[in-house]
This record gives sequence, structure tokens and C-alpha cells, in this order.
Amino acid sequence: MKKIGYLSLITLIVLFASAIKAAAKQEDAAQETGDVVLKAIPESKDAIFKNNEEVKYKLQLENNTNEWQEGRVSYIITTDEGKKMGTDSLHFTLKGSGTKELQIKIPPKATGFYRINFMVNLPQYDDTVRKVFGVNPDKISSQLHKPADFDAFWRRSRELLEKVPPKYRVLERRDLSTDEKRVYSVEMHSFGNLVIRGWLVVPTDGKNFPVHYRVPGYVVTLKPNMDNDDFIAFDLNVRGNGNSTDVINVGTDNYCLVNVEDKEKYIYRGVYMDCIRGLDFLWSHANLGIDTTKIFVEGGSQGGSLALITAALDKRVKVLTMQVPLYADIHDNMSISASYKSQVFPFKVFRKYNTMHPGFTWEKFFRTFDYFDPQNFAPMVKCPVLMGIGLLDQFCPPRCSMALFNHISSSNKEYVCVPNSTHEVNYNYFMFQNLWLREKFRIP
Amino acid sequence: MKRTTVFTAFLLLITWLIPCKTFAGWPIGKYRDLVVPTFSYYHQTDRFDGQDNVIKGAPGTSFSSFTANIFFGYGLTRKLDLMVTLPYLYQQNKIGPGNTISNQGPGDLSVGLSYNLVNFNYVRFLSVQVSGIAPMYTVTSGRSALGLGSYGSEVKLMFCGNLPATVLDKGYFNTELSYRRYYSAQGPDQVSITASVGYPVTKHNQVSLEVLLFRSFSSDKAFNANYFAERDFSFFKPALNFGHQFTRRFSVFLGGFYVPFGVNTGVGYGGSLLAVLKL
Repeated sequence: MKKIGYLSLITLIVLFASAIKAAAKQEDAAQETGDVVLKAIPESKDAIFKNNEEVKYKLQLENNTNEWQEGRVSYIITTDEGKKMGTDSLHFTLKGSGTKELQIKIPPKATGFYRINFMVNLPQYDDTVRKVFGVNPDKISSQLHKPADFDAFWRRSRELLEKVPPKYRVLERRDLSTDEKRVYSVEMHSFGNLVIRGWLVVPTDGKNFPVHYRVPGYVVTLKPNMDNDDFIAFDLNVRGNGNSTDVINVGTDNYCLVNVEDKEKYIYRGVYMDCIRGLDFLWSHANLGIDTTKIFVEGGSQGGSLALITAALDKRVKVLTMQVPLYADIHDNMSISASYKSQVFPFKVFRKYNTMHPGFTWEKFFRTFDYFDPQNFAPMVKCPVLMGIGLLDQFCPPRCSMALFNHISSSNKEYVCVPNSTHEVNYNYFMFQNLWLREKFRIP
Repeated sequence: MKRTTVFTAFLLLITWLIPCKTFAGWPIGKYRDLVVPTFSYYHQTDRFDGQDNVIKGAPGTSFSSFTANIFFGYGLTRKLDLMVTLPYLYQQNKIGPGNTISNQGPGDLSVGLSYNLVNFNYVRFLSVQVSGIAPMYTVTSGRSALGLGSYGSEVKLMFCGNLPATVLDKGYFNTELSYRRYYSAQGPDQVSITASVGYPVTKHNQVSLEVLLFRSFSSDKAFNANYFAERDFSFFKPALNFGHQFTRRFSVFLGGFYVPFGVNTGVGYGGSLLAVLKL
């Protein structure tokens, strides 16, 4: 009996230890290299602090050489528009293969996001670690630049869309279907009578499923989503994306510039309406097992904004999840991006166009884009919302995403900050999103 | 591409985990209900003495128990669950040829709260559960066949999740360490360790192996064939279970167990049939 007891105990301990080790391994997956590796770990796991508390970082220094090292570790804090807010420097010594931990404390900061660059300087080695932290992001505010006829413009757009007969075509693709999933290619006519296409994947194991309606990132091809067992997956390629390029097929450099000087013809007018047409399709095809009362719309980057706009313009969307929403708070995005050493999308493209078209002033740009800034749609969103952002994102600066988020009317909204991500979120976010969706739809 | 990979990975993981989640250390989930009716059968004729030796039961003697148990769980928040368990027992204690004592009635009601202390990337969960126990039967002179006849409390530490990929590409584990105390002069104090490993053999079917090491301490060392009312004993019990998921909300598990080692307790065996309803 004792032997069995000990055996069980050892099994239990081994199981505990291996599981904990595996969990730790997952978190430590990204190994860094260099003579002296610096890790900057915010005291708050998501690098979000309150405006009355000190901002604390733990700096872990690891000497990867066998030699004695002596140098300085310093940091510089700037606002997200590049205004210098503080700097400090610490002396350190490290034995060969040694490690050291330092603490830094930064006085409380006002609401906003801040860049903090940590520099390690040795006589023969330099390295910089770039981080961003936020202070009270849910208090960030921004000015809405909503044109007076914004609502009328979109009402008119919807009326024009409704005049286009959808002429749905649904074709079962046996070549792509499996025992567990039935795949359909779907086609419909949308705004301006353009043909757009998408993929509908229906699990065979059950009936009447909620819908995961995914809208695409910037010129991204969506394919049948075969990984979802508990939802019908509907992936729509809006005009100019994936298999919807019959008329518009311009590539990433010009996509967001198509008719940018005319709000009536700007590509995103049709794109936003394509998303609504996709919803029309779902609503009119309950016979395929679609639970039209449980449609959630999701997307990342451009898709994040398209998802938000779909939820804003159409109450048939019951839940919204978005990641790193592109173009949010476009005015502040412009100011923030002006401080970048090298330009990134989207203002890299807009600035280039502005330079090459002297008559195209920024005033003209905003005269169009204010009709399309996702932020202006945010107050119309009433359903539960989950948003994920990467704090190191330069395409969609965190301040802009949070400004958009704070303009959302729904009180049932949550956000997740991923401190070490750029224009993406992480695995952990998607795990949470899955649980969050199950909670909202009461799915087991 | 990276995003697609991440998305696919998490969906696969969820697919593996969902059929496995019953009512172990996994958080139930906010606003979700879990109802688990269980029917179990236990039988013993022989017993272990104080040195783990098997003593043959006298002819015509045995102890059998049929238990119908209802478990109800509700996710109060994402981390906090309410759990209620109430068994109904029917026992037959054959103390000699033609001499059978039968008892039936509700057993010990257990009401508790489970709190998820840490989640490791939503893949593994460390939780603690605290419960109160109340006898739902009549106690005469401090004794009853349906239980220990006193109030008690339990604290349980649970760690569960999917197995590390280095061990198995899919599958899950659950480990529990619990301490239970009954508030009477003779206790008992009870400590148990449970470890289980499950493996989905197909999309809807899984097998699991569970081992339970149980120790009950009391100054009352007397052997009682009715282990519900016994105070000082220990045993090791492996169980093999098979589970089938009929729908996303309804699964059934069928299992069998045997007590190969024990001290001052019965050489028990039996089985259980339980349904998991996710409402």
C-alpha cells in the first residue's frame, strides 16, 4: 500500500512538474541573442498602468559571454508623438555568464501611450529594446471629425446597395468538402453591381449553428475556414480581395487610393457595403443551418475596421470582435506617424500620394476620409465588443485603437493589450476570444 | 500567415479540450450551467485488514451501494464557480445469510465555490475549491449508515489542462489534492490525491484513466463494511472510463473501478454511469 502511495505521489508530482515546465516553456519561447541580453518586463503584465501609480519595469540583464562586462543601461521615454518625457541611466557590472536584475521606477504619467526605449551600452556592444506602455487607456479621448451629412451619406449608400439585386449563387464544393465540413463557394452582386465572393463552411455535425463572419485584412485572400467546429464560418472577400478581383485588382500599393479624391466613388464605400451584402447573404440563407440570431463579425487590421463598421451599420450583428483596427482615428494616426523614423502603412501610402499629387491637400484627403474613419462609426455600435491591440503597433497606434474603442456606445465591451506585439495579437488573445464568444453566445 | 497558424492552433486545441471538460478543475465559464447526474454501484465481499492483507468475507456477507448523485455547477464569473452536490443512497449490508440491513436516503450535501487562481495561457488551470458539507439524513447517537453524520468542510487544490505536446499530441490531465475535515470528536480528517489522464480516441470518444489515493484518519479504528460510515481507513483505487459525446451539450461516461490495495476497508469494485449536460 505504501509503495502504491509513493508511486501515486511521484506520478502526481511528475505530472505537475512537467505541466508547469511546459507552461513556462511556452512563455519563454522567444530566446534572444547578443553579448548582453536585456529583458524589460513591466510590473503590470499588459503594460497598462493607472495615472496615479508609478510605472515600474524589471530589467533583466544576462551576460552571454564568459567575460566581465561593465556598462550602462539607460532609458528614454517619449509620448507616442515623439515628445521627450524623461530619461535616466544606471551603471552595471556583470560577471562572465552572470545575470543581474534592476528595477526602474518612473513617476506617474498622464493618460496616454508612451514609448520607452531601453539601451544597453558596453564598450563594444550596444542594443536597444523598444517598448510601449499605456496609462489609463480607457480614458483616452479623441475628437470625432464626423461630417454633418455622415449619417445621410451612409443611409444613401445602403439605399443604393438595396437597389442592386444580390443574385446569390451558392455552389457546393465537393472537392473541398470533408466528412465533417461542407464547403460552399458563394457569389453575390454588391454595391455598384460588382460581383463579390466568399466561402461558407458548414459543420455536418449538428444543425443551426452560430456564424463566424470574417472580413478580410488589407488585400488579403480569405479561404475556406475549415478549423471551426462550433460555428458556421463565412469568409467574405470584399472587392479587390481574394477571389473578388474581377473589376478591382490593384494590389497593396494603390488599393486604399482608388478614387480617394471622391467620397462617392472611394473604394471603401463599396467595400463597406460589400460587408453589409455579406450579412444580407447570411440572413437570407438560414436554410443552410445558419442561426441568424447569432452572427458574430470578426476581423484583424482592415478586417477589424470592416467588422466594426458592419456592426455599426447593421444590428443583425450580435457580437463584434476585432484586432488592431486599421485607419482608426485617422487624424491622430497622421500626427503619430509623423514621428516615425521611417514611414509605415497606411500613411506611407497616403504621404506618397500627397507628394505626387500637389493638388491633393490633406484637407482634401480628410474631406473624403472622414466619411470612412472607423472612429466615426464607433458610437453606432451597440453590441458586445472585444478588441485586441498590440502595443508596438505602428500601423494602428494603440492610442488610435483605444480612442476608437472609447467611442463605442456599447457598455459591454472589453479590450486586451498585448505588450510585445506589433501589428498583431497573440495566441493567448485568441484563446480568450474563444472563451469570450462562448460566454456571449452561451455556447458550451 | 502567422495569424492563420495561431488561429488554427487554438481552434484545434479547443476541439480537443471541449469533449474532455467535465467538472474537474476547469472553470465552468461565466453564466454557464453544468449538470452531472451520476449513477454508481459499489460492491464488496472481502476486506483488507490493517496490514493490507485480504480477509475473505464470511459466507453470505457483503455490502452493496447504489448511489444516484446530482452535481450542479454554475459559472458566477469567469473565475468563480458555484458547485452543489447531493447524493441519494440505497445500501444493502448483508451481515449474514438471510440477514440484510437496507438503508436509503439523501447523503452528504456539499456546497462549494471554486476559484481559478491562475490560467496558463487558457491551456492549463490552477484552481482552489472550498466546500461545506452537511448531512441530509437523520443521525442517531452520532451514527448513520448514510454518512459520517457530522458537518464538514473541504479544501481542494486542482491543476488541470492539456498534456504537454512533448508527452502526447492531444489529451488532458487533471490532478487534485484535497483535505476534508468532519467536525466531530472522532473526525475523521481525510486526505486524497486524484490524478487522471484522458485521451480522445476519436472526435467524439475518449478514454481516461484515473487513480485515487485516499486516506481517512480517526481515533475510531473500527472496521465497518459500510465505507460511507467508516472513519479510519485508506485505499488505492484505479478507474477506467470511456466517454462519448453525443452533442455539444450532452456527453455520457461509463467507467469501472477496483480497489486492489487498502487498509481497514473493503475490497471494492463497481462502476458508474454519468451524463454531462452543459446547459
